[in-house]
Amino acid sequence: MVELAVGVIAAALVVAAWEGAARSGMIAPQFLPSPSRVLTALWTMLTQQNLIWHVAVSTARVWVAFLLAAALAIPIGIVMSSYRIVGAALEPMIDFIRYLPVPALVPLSIIWFGVGEETKVFLLWLGTFFQLVLLVADDMRRVPQEFVEVARTVGANSRQVMTDVALRSMGPTLIDNLRITLGWCWTSLIIAEIVAADSGIGYVIWTARRFVKTPEVMAGVVVIGLIGLVTDQLLRLLHRRLFRYL
Amino acid sequence: MSAYVQFADTAKSFGPIEVVRKTSLGLDRNSLVVFLGPSGCGKTTLMRMVGGLDQPSTGSILLGGEKVVRPDRRRGMVFQSYSSFPWLTVERNIAFGMRYRNDITAAEKAERTRHYLELFGLADFAGPFPNRISAGRPPPVALARPLAAGSDVLLMDEPFGALDALTRERLQVELRQIQIREEKTIIFVTHDVEEAVFLADRIVLFSRRPATVVADIDVAAELGPQRPLEIRETQKFFELRNRVLHLIRHETGAVV
Repeated sequence: MVELAVGVIAAALVVAAWEGAARSGMIAPQFLPSPSRVLTALWTMLTQQNLIWHVAVSTARVWVAFLLAAALAIPIGIVMSSYRIVGAALEPMIDFIRYLPVPALVPLSIIWFGVGEETKVFLLWLGTFFQLVLLVADDMRRVPQEFVEVARTVGANSRQVMTDVALRSMGPTLIDNLRITLGWCWTSLIIAEIVAADSGIGYVIWTARRFVKTPEVMAGVVVIGLIGLVTDQLLRLLHRRLFRYL
Repeated sequence: MSAYVQFADTAKSFGPIEVVRKTSLGLDRNSLVVFLGPSGCGKTTLMRMVGGLDQPSTGSILLGGEKVVRPDRRRGMVFQSYSSFPWLTVERNIAFGMRYRNDITAAEKAERTRHYLELFGLADFAGPFPNRISAGRPPPVALARPLAAGSDVLLMDEPFGALDALTRERLQVELRQIQIREEKTIIFVTHDVEEAVFLADRIVLFSRRPATVVADIDVAAELGPQRPLEIRETQKFFELRNRVLHLIRHETGAVV
């Protein structure tokens, strides 16, 4: 509770300092609008410019990409750790791609997928999958050998060792890593939504920028931040619920 | 009576490292055999091969005349690290031993779980997760699981190594009683001579790596099957312990 209070007070202080700086007149409002103006812009966007719909579109894109990434990364990561040869084959390639910045692959993904939804989801997926697969492989590697052997000596077959022991054992770190990579998925959003988009928070921010509507740009950024904060807290709550023994 | 667990010209190397040199050894059913030897001498590897977790490089291991090829629930392992699953309650940890058995009913499983909870004084600790109960408790959880699974051979790798002296003593006494009452065959790996002499029907002493048998001591013939704590203070116990210590110093090549 104390930590929560400290967090809220610290954030309030930053906002107050921002408001003060903006009102002092030392900084032009098109560079730094005051929080109250950002809030007004946010209200206008909510009531007149369909912001909720844009948020929904962005959230859907992020989650489709993220779930696709997780659905592939979890089994592949596990196989990479279980069979040394698979790990040896895949790891250098994954490391190579992992270090490529997502924007660098925008032209290529347009050539491959055109300018529709596929490109946006692909770019988001790209920013997530290659990070996640290595994290999953690592989680799997850290499952204690004794756990696996205990299960085998009481008659578990390979599938049962996987579902009843390995996945259970890696559960807490796996959920943590999913939470972290979901955050990374959101960070690629603007990149994905400036490519011929007509919807989404990225599109809203990018359009507002073109007309130097700084309060709206900031409002868009704040919305992403808020979504991130809420999602993160929900996943932490889920983590505590699922893993009561920790 | 022919041996229940039979090492038949068993040898094991990991790559270029020879861990166990060709060994033949028979262990009787319903006895507690201690594998004693210097740290890292290969006694754990011998035990793991009985468990089916490692395969011999040459030779084989027979259990009741049948070759061991893979782990199964007839041979339960108790590891040094105790290996309770942290995500299962104490009760479910013990019941995990029967999870893959279709030959007994759920009611029987519950009954057996309750039996072992009581046997190990864990009845009041059934509900909590293993990390929530005091330090003396985890080994019984790991010990109760293979018993509940119905293993008749228990393979124990220094299970009491990290415990305080009193808890350790208590568990040694309990283990010995359970072994006799439930008629289990136990291979117990340790490098603690006191513990070895107190628990064993028979001590097999191994040399430094690669492991070879350097002495085979019939402890039961000298101390009898029952091991009350007081036996540790008897002249016979002292003499036997000193003899084993002497053997370790002079025969195993261990640096003591």
